Amino acid sequence: MSEVLPVSFRNQRGNMLFGSLHLPETTQPQQKDLPVVVLLSPGVKMRVGPGRLYVPLTELLNSQGFRVLRFDFFGLGDSEGDLSETVLADVYNNIEVGRYVDDTLAALHWLSTEHGARRFVLGGLCGGAITAILAAERDARVDSLLSIGMTVTLASNAAKPGQYLTRAQLDDRRRRYLLKMLKPEAWLRFLTFRSEYDVIWKSLKRVFIKDKPVAAPPVSTTQPVEQRGNANPLFPKAYFAFLARGGKALMLFSERDRLQSEYEEKFAQPYAAQLAPHAAQIEQHVIPHANHVLSFREWQEQMLGFSRAWLARLYA
Amino acid sequence: MTETPFYFYRGVTRLFGMLHAPSAPGSSLAYVMSHPFGEEKLWSHRVFVVFARTLAARGIPVLRFDYTGAGDSAGETASTSVDTYLDDLGAAVEALVARVPAATRVGLVGLRFGASLAAQFAERARLTQKFPVVLGGPLALWDPILDGESYIQELLRINLSTQLAVYGKVQESREVLVERIRAGGIANVEGYEIGLPLFASASLKELLPAEGLRHAGGTLVMQIAATEKAKLREDQQRLAELSTDGTFQRAIEQPFWREIKAFCSRADNLQNQTLQWMEQRHGVPVT
Repeated sequence: MSEVLPVSFRNQRGNMLFGSLHLPETTQPQQKDLPVVVLLSPGVKMRVGPGRLYVPLTELLNSQGFRVLRFDFFGLGDSEGDLSETVLADVYNNIEVGRYVDDTLAALHWLSTEHGARRFVLGGLCGGAITAILAAERDARVDSLLSIGMTVTLASNAAKPGQYLTRAQLDDRRRRYLLKMLKPEAWLRFLTFRSEYDVIWKSLKRVFIKDKPVAAPPVSTTQPVEQRGNANPLFPKAYFAFLARGGKALMLFSERDRLQSEYEEKFAQPYAAQLAPHAAQIEQHVIPHANHVLSFREWQEQMLGFSRAWLARLYA
Repeated sequence: MTETPFYFYRGVTRLFGMLHAPSAPGSSLAYVMSHPFGEEKLWSHRVFVVFARTLAARGIPVLRFDYTGAGDSAGETASTSVDTYLDDLGAAVEALVARVPAATRVGLVGLRFGASLAAQFAERARLTQKFPVVLGGPLALWDPILDGESYIQELLRINLSTQLAVYGKVQESREVLVERIRAGGIANVEGYEIGLPLFASASLKELLPAEGLRHAGGTLVMQIAATEKAKLREDQQRLAELSTDGTFQRAIEQPFWREIKAFCSRADNLQNQTLQWMEQRHGVPVT
């Protein structure tokens, strides 16, 4: 069993943040220079992640010789501080615009001063992934990114479901609407003004009018990006800055997660030309059938398999 | 107030605990909090933290801990049973008393399945006289699960919802899942695996004694209702009425133990009503 230490450190606001540092059972001489992996919490869940996703991931990383830190951001889990939001989507939105970047940088500072860490892998699911890349933009010691379900949009806009659906989401909705046509309760909803008419119309319209991806203007790594729809303008700038300094990224997505089509349609396609020179730095996989939080064991095992192989290649 | 994370052991299993200790030590009463099962633990985590901090600020030490296979504790839920969790709770009580020697009475606060475990533990302590510190301590049960059979079916329904969302249809019905569990397999509920030990020990029509609890320290059964108009939980009311020194109350709160639109980092009605009961029963200062 690997050694685990309960740890705490303060962020810049003075909040005590609690976490656990997991040390590999044995370290080979060549593993001493490995970066420390910091797994960042997703959404409002604490440092183990939904369904304890980070527990087997931590065990895998320890088995490969990596030290792993998991901790709670301020106002969440066991950590100090309070959040003022009353709506979940607003909490998510504030995470997506970098609320916890400073906490992440505080963790890196603590690891470097207390444990001699010199470089880092930042990893996380969804909100943890966007926090990781926004922090990586500000700390060049982050040399790789283990992203599970990177979110490239802003959650507060989710209050308007019809407005920002991707083409893949609309096609999926249309299939579901067609299946529902034989169900009386669906017609009851439709006839009593409880259906999402704008979404139904948009999904049907795509049968006749196929809109195509529009290329986005090149991103400067020093200038803010213009807001497009519900896309997070902070992501392209941070990601390209990370890639420009040679950062490596493992981008894992779940097939049955809207984040996958959002990444493709709202980032990868519009920025295809700018991404092309960095193709060798990015490894991307989609886990078939998996949901957002990879709840079933077989999906988790695929995530672990991709992570294991990528890390082995990167830090062999 | 100080907050100290630490690990303790139930046999060889490493369990995680967080001790909330008041600035002025000396209280003879302390609490252990018992979290709900699976993802409900994560959604309700902050409500537990806020409640523990509130009690500690009023001079009462509190231990929160993670059951086997939950949070930062070792193990997997697939191999756990109700007995595993009751042993965990016993180890937590011992860990609390070891760190707070002044505590001569230990109260229990639990939510949902965690409340049922707390009640079962108190009953077992009474029958075995193994944990005398618990006997006179208050027992606060937040929306306890009474019908374990329906509860397990409710958990399995989450598995069906996942199947429906990802495959567009239910590939394995509840009956198939139950059959698999009975044959020694597992069913996955939001990343937590239910195996035969938990299924057999929790899937009971009467998870708590129908004739009520005989706990001597006083029992609060709190129905958590989303609105004033929500249906009265007669089963919970009956449990309180049949229990020795039982009290039934309703707290109006959103179901903060699952994903809802609201972000619930605290549950003020639930917390204040519980504190008031604690003050009346055990002299815990409310303000």
